[in-house]
Amino acid sequence: MTNPLRDPQDRRLPRIPEPCALVIFGVTGDLARKKLIPAIYDLTNRGMLPSGFVVLGFARRDWGHDDFEAMAKTAAQEHARTPWREEVWGRLVGSMKFVPGAFDDDAAFDHLGRTLDELRDSHGIHGNAAFYLSIPPAAFPAVLKQLARTGMADNDKAGGWRRVVVEKPFGTDLGSARQLNDLVDDVFTGNDVFRIDHYLGKETVQNILALRFANQLFEPVWNSKYVDSVQITMAEDVGIGTRAAFYDATGTARDVLQNHLLQLLAMVAMEEPTSFDAAEIRAEKLKVLRAITLPQDVAQETVRGQYLAGWVSGERAAAYKDEEGVPPDSKTETYVAVKLGVQNRRWAGVPFYIRAGKRLPRRVTEIAVLFKKAPHLPFHPADVEMLGRNQLVVRVQPDEGVTLKFGSKVPGTAMEVRDITMDFQYGEAFTDTSPEAYERLILDVLIGDRTLFPDAAEVEQSWRVVDPLEAAWKGTTPETYRAGEWGPRAADEMLARDGRRWRRA
Amino acid sequence: MISLWDTTGDEVVKALSAERRSAGGVTSGLALTLVAVVDEKHVREAEAAATIAAAQHPCRMLMVVRSDVIRDNNRLDAEIVVGGRLGPCEAVVMRMYGRLALHAESVVMPLLAPDVPVVTWWHGEPPDIIAYDFLGVVADRRITDSAQAVSPVAALRQRAEDYAPGDTDLAWTRITPWRTLVAAAFDTLDARVTSARVTAPESDPTGALMMGWLKARLHITPEQVPGGEFKRMREVTLRCDNGDELSLTRDDSVATLHRNGQENRRLPLVRRPLGDELAEELRRLGADPVYAEALGASTGVPGLQERSAIRVHVWKDPAVAGGITVAGTGTANPVDQ
Repeated sequence: MTNPLRDPQDRRLPRIPEPCALVIFGVTGDLARKKLIPAIYDLTNRGMLPSGFVVLGFARRDWGHDDFEAMAKTAAQEHARTPWREEVWGRLVGSMKFVPGAFDDDAAFDHLGRTLDELRDSHGIHGNAAFYLSIPPAAFPAVLKQLARTGMADNDKAGGWRRVVVEKPFGTDLGSARQLNDLVDDVFTGNDVFRIDHYLGKETVQNILALRFANQLFEPVWNSKYVDSVQITMAEDVGIGTRAAFYDATGTARDVLQNHLLQLLAMVAMEEPTSFDAAEIRAEKLKVLRAITLPQDVAQETVRGQYLAGWVSGERAAAYKDEEGVPPDSKTETYVAVKLGVQNRRWAGVPFYIRAGKRLPRRVTEIAVLFKKAPHLPFHPADVEMLGRNQLVVRVQPDEGVTLKFGSKVPGTAMEVRDITMDFQYGEAFTDTSPEAYERLILDVLIGDRTLFPDAAEVEQSWRVVDPLEAAWKGTTPETYRAGEWGPRAADEMLARDGRRWRRA
Repeated sequence: MISLWDTTGDEVVKALSAERRSAGGVTSGLALTLVAVVDEKHVREAEAAATIAAAQHPCRMLMVVRSDVIRDNNRLDAEIVVGGRLGPCEAVVMRMYGRLALHAESVVMPLLAPDVPVVTWWHGEPPDIIAYDFLGVVADRRITDSAQAVSPVAALRQRAEDYAPGDTDLAWTRITPWRTLVAAAFDTLDARVTSARVTAPESDPTGALMMGWLKARLHITPEQVPGGEFKRMREVTLRCDNGDELSLTRDDSVATLHRNGQENRRLPLVRRPLGDELAEELRRLGADPVYAEALGASTGVPGLQERSAIRVHVWKDPAVAGGITVAGTGTANPVDQ
């Protein structure tokens, strides 16, 4: 029976999930404390969670419900973006449970299963539960096997839906990603698996689709006839912090290129989906990912870099090799720049330059579409010396917005033309208080909306892009760059060979 | 900030563009023009609300404060703030005295941002007939607040009589959190509702709208129970044909969801600041048919949604006893006698 109180025209009423439980594995970890629990508090504060909602923490700690609550309260108070209200927390407190145990402990998982069954009646959650695997990938098989063994992953047995949320990294290459996908899809059904790429939860990234497909202005020029090249940048000013073990085994390409950057590329390059249905959008993104072509000469058209000591935002920064936990002969990259192509009618011949790195001058993620120069300029060459390419830039973070760069006359008696940038920024609060990506994504998992989650095929296809690069890089030594520089000199040379240069992001 | 004393509309237009230029970088997007009609004593309150709302909806805010309508000499004072204490919005606060106050549109019209929707918001007692106020006629969306009237429920009824698509009332905005909880409770209810009871003071327009909404959606006639000393809507109870009963009761900022056969559950039901309510209104620049339906059902006024969205200005002079009403000619303004 459809709910008579809901009306598609009633846009004021938010989407609210059915009563359910969210089970977090590894609830004592960084991600859970900094993102997941604060996001749950913020969702509660905004009234987006159903009346029957339970958070179940699972970790290897000798804790009772109270200890878990205390930890969660501190985490929410420190990291929530919405104001602290004791009464909102009061509503959550009664619905937080903790189950102690190790991942190989059968008894602990039986206990978890029993707890879920009890909650079905006491909290009216109808057997609905989402399992959030906030744990290292190495622990996935153990947990998934336990979920399969106890029947907790089974929709029919549970009498409601059972979903699983997986965080990146989705494997370390195509083979391991497949293994992981097979394992997850085996335990849960493919439709119940949600892979989180938190970039897709950002408002500005979703706005790329609105910008492209809601407007008549941009789509006609969104092709190789008018577009010269596309530059996608994801720069971080921080180093690797305490993640040395993970990072040194992973590198920038596997860490961010395989997921975030290729997803951004897919959003920019995809064809119009027939509808905004999750399956349609994924189908179009997958088509673009399949059409990606790799450089013929990997040595010439990709650059790997590793930072040396230097200064970043007024502070001394150590070299990568001197970071704690990094072997002194490490050949892992902290910077990567690649030139990709998209082989279809729309994009043939347009290079997509993608770069990402750590210890760059500032934190910025942006997508710049650079247009070709006008085929003819009826001006004296000296007058248009300062005229560059028209650019449309989508700034993903920070200062979310869109800028458009075009030529304009310099005031005065001479006909001189120079570039001017028109800047659109989202409202102030749009950046400060717009839902944190995790809030949106957790809500979508509980509602069952798959639009913003890459599926197994996309993940595997992305590895097909990164794997050959990794193979070609094997044994090579990354170029070096000083911390606080825009990457190695070789990256500039790579574009210079094509007669282009990196946009200063 | 620029302050202009005893000035003209022309000067205000010039000062606004000068201020925009000198503030620098004000090429940010503009989603709408918000015209706020406010009493002097509510100016600060309205400014605070607009600041919150503007953070979500980049806008130009034109605040009109009318006073001393019967005074002989006309005077316009204006204050222009671009990106300062009013947050990201560009704002002009105008104080109009004398007969000029009756022709506020002559100052406001040239200040409307070109080709973006106009929203007029009366922060104070809503006008009887919106067509009397040219600032309402020019708007695409009109926001009133019947809770600020002397008799709120009568004011709500008047809103129904005077309704045109594009009107909304903040009493409706205020029950969005309530409606969210009630609708969510229904997501898991498989039975048909046979009766409903709303506990709210008789003078509470939100209670009246809640009853109207339930009536329109569920085709039942809810019963109203006065809430005793509780000054706002207290409780909504729904009874189903299978004997189930479901109720939501508010205490301060918490609501308790009761359902027979299940444990009581406490849900946050926080009263939002005026700015958040205004921001919710500004999300939608089209008509709200669900509001029209609820308002119609609540007041018994039929055919709300069939009305024309365009109003024609009606000239009414408050200075003349009883007010002489002359039909206006649409956009043209009748000559002030």
